Amino acid sequence: MAALLGIQILGGFFGAFMAYYTFLHYKRKEITLKEYSFWIVLWFTFLAVTIMPRLLDPVVKTLNLARTMDFFIILGFMFLIGTIFYTYLLVRKNQKRLENIVRKVAMDKPNKKQ
Amino acid sequence: MESTYIVIPAQNESSTINGVVTKAKKFGSVIVVDDGSKDNTGSAASDATVLTHITNLGKGAALRTGCDFAIKKGATKIVVIDADTQHNPQDIPRFLQTLKNHDVVLGYRKRSKSMPSVLRFGNGVINTMTKILYGIDVKDTQCGFRAFTATAYKKIRWDATNYSMESEMIANIGRHKLSFGEVPIETVYADRYKGTTIIDGIKIVLNLMWWRIKR
Repeated sequence: MAALLGIQILGGFFGAFMAYYTFLHYKRKEITLKEYSFWIVLWFTFLAVTIMPRLLDPVVKTLNLARTMDFFIILGFMFLIGTIFYTYLLVRKNQKRLENIVRKVAMDKPNKKQ
Repeated sequence: MESTYIVIPAQNESSTINGVVTKAKKFGSVIVVDDGSKDNTGSAASDATVLTHITNLGKGAALRTGCDFAIKKGATKIVVIDADTQHNPQDIPRFLQTLKNHDVVLGYRKRSKSMPSVLRFGNGVINTMTKILYGIDVKDTQCGFRAFTATAYKKIRWDATNYSMESEMIANIGRHKLSFGEVPIETVYADRYKGTTIIDGIKIVLNLMWWRIKR
């Protein structure tokens, strides 16, 4: 295995930290086993391809990309945009829920003075 | 039997709300919707039914809560008015008089130098857009002083939680071809920093276009 590049070391630390962070939240029972499994698989995959980028050579070749780094950047942007959209939907859903609850509480408990 | 309800959305208006309620209650039952105030707006609104939003949702949501509650209580006519003394409740009888011949009555502010120039410009743009997109010639699309019948409310009920609700109401008037009258009102601008901002204005224009496409 070729000597690790600085960016790989950085990526490795990031992946390991995120895996630990996910584990911590799972232990605190803030995420379910299903959510934990999804994220932990994602971080370990990230760690594997960071340390051994050659694993991605067939994919990079098929997609006609010059470097593995380009593949990472494209994938990263796609993931980011997807996550932003998902978060947006979640925020809107919660906004609507909050609105319904606040309005229901207000109408069920009028403070009538007349 | 005719039953008039006056709905007042209020946020942090403890210094003015009681005066508005006292004047308005002569013309019907008053409902104040305290929209997540940080001061004691709710307790200051004596002689009114106070509905409390435990957190701020916006003017559109507050008005909808108040109007839905009024309908639940058997309102046949609803008047909506601002809490910051910008509108004079003494004008309510003129709205109710005009409502006898229309489904909806919209107040319009007379042009005066007291109206902040940014508001005057923004209002002009929104009025023109409303005319182009909906074919409705309204003198003041952003005036919050309005009256409508319970039947009309079911058709003009808005989804917007913010200041877009005034424009959405007009878009719904156009969509359902409701008849509307207009009543001139005097306006006092007590606080230059409250109310519709430039960002709100942009959102309203974009919403007007969206509602036209959705129509």
